[in-house]
Amino acid sequence: MEKLTKTQVSILASYSMPLVLLSAFAINALLVSFHISTGTLRLVLLAGSFPIGFVLGRLIYTRRYHVEIQFDNSTFRVIKGSKEVVTGFWRSYRMVSLVLDQFGKPNLRLYKTKGGEHVDLPISRTNAEPQRFRDYAQSLVAGQRPREANPQVAEVA
Amino acid sequence: MKSLDTNESAVDLFESRLIRGGTRLIADLTEFFRDYRVDDTTFTIYAKGATRNKGFLLSRFLAWTVLPNYSVSLFCVDEGSTLLTTEKIRKNVDTVTRITKEEDLKWAWLVFFSGRDLPPSIVSFISRYDKKELGLAAASTSSRQVVLSNNQVGRSIGKQLKLGKTIGSNRTWKN
Repeated sequence: MEKLTKTQVSILASYSMPLVLLSAFAINALLVSFHISTGTLRLVLLAGSFPIGFVLGRLIYTRRYHVEIQFDNSTFRVIKGSKEVVTGFWRSYRMVSLVLDQFGKPNLRLYKTKGGEHVDLPISRTNAEPQRFRDYAQSLVAGQRPREANPQVAEVA
Repeated sequence: MKSLDTNESAVDLFESRLIRGGTRLIADLTEFFRDYRVDDTTFTIYAKGATRNKGFLLSRFLAWTVLPNYSVSLFCVDEGSTLLTTEKIRKNVDTVTRITKEEDLKWAWLVFFSGRDLPPSIVSFISRYDKKELGLAAASTSSRQVVLSNNQVGRSIGKQLKLGKTIGSNRTWKN
């Protein structure tokens, strides 16, 4: 199965920054109790709040928010955090569209019937190139051979 | 497994601009279909939206209090290397007009892409088209010629949707 995923830095930062602050308070309290109130050592130890906060934030982000889309030529799965939120067969759907969310980011929508029941795949939270992934999905729901195009986008340095 | 195809077609580029909010000033297109089939007509792009944009805080408040919420759509046909004829345009115009009535759209855009030069009959037909609820445009990817219909919605295809820029043209034939 192919995977589409991307670390969402802004979300990771929003989870991590309060934990960085909390760990900084905790380290500071320890330093005060050990009577380390000045000097370079204090700054170095306080700087340790960043890796601690980001590691804890990363753990929470991975368990709760991180999105991964797994797919092959017959099935797809959307995993959010540690839960599988959507799963299905491409051939169960008849139409595909790109839908812009409230922030203007494109997600993939699969329709079972024209204008009827549908599911959304949050491809804007992954490294998928929206139009190419839509074309790929469309070739599968239409019962045609999948195109050779790679739906992942290149990482720009 | 990472690649990026830089050879985008004019239609892909046009859609890409729309997805990134190219029409935001006059309408918010929120859903994009490819190869959308209506009876025996297939539209390369079909986009749905409304005139009330979402925005953030102040612009959202203004949109909700000031802007009317009309439904609008964009239809695009890619003729490729096939000759674009007035018959084809009339047929598509009829289909779009019917959809406009069925779905109670305030207006619609209909854009044709052609890989060949636009014949004088097409230029004449489109530039004289003046029904206010449908904006027409044709663009030649070979000669980089753009023709817009003689109405407000048609002119907005050049100004807001920037069709000319999509095909690398700065020439627009308009009345």
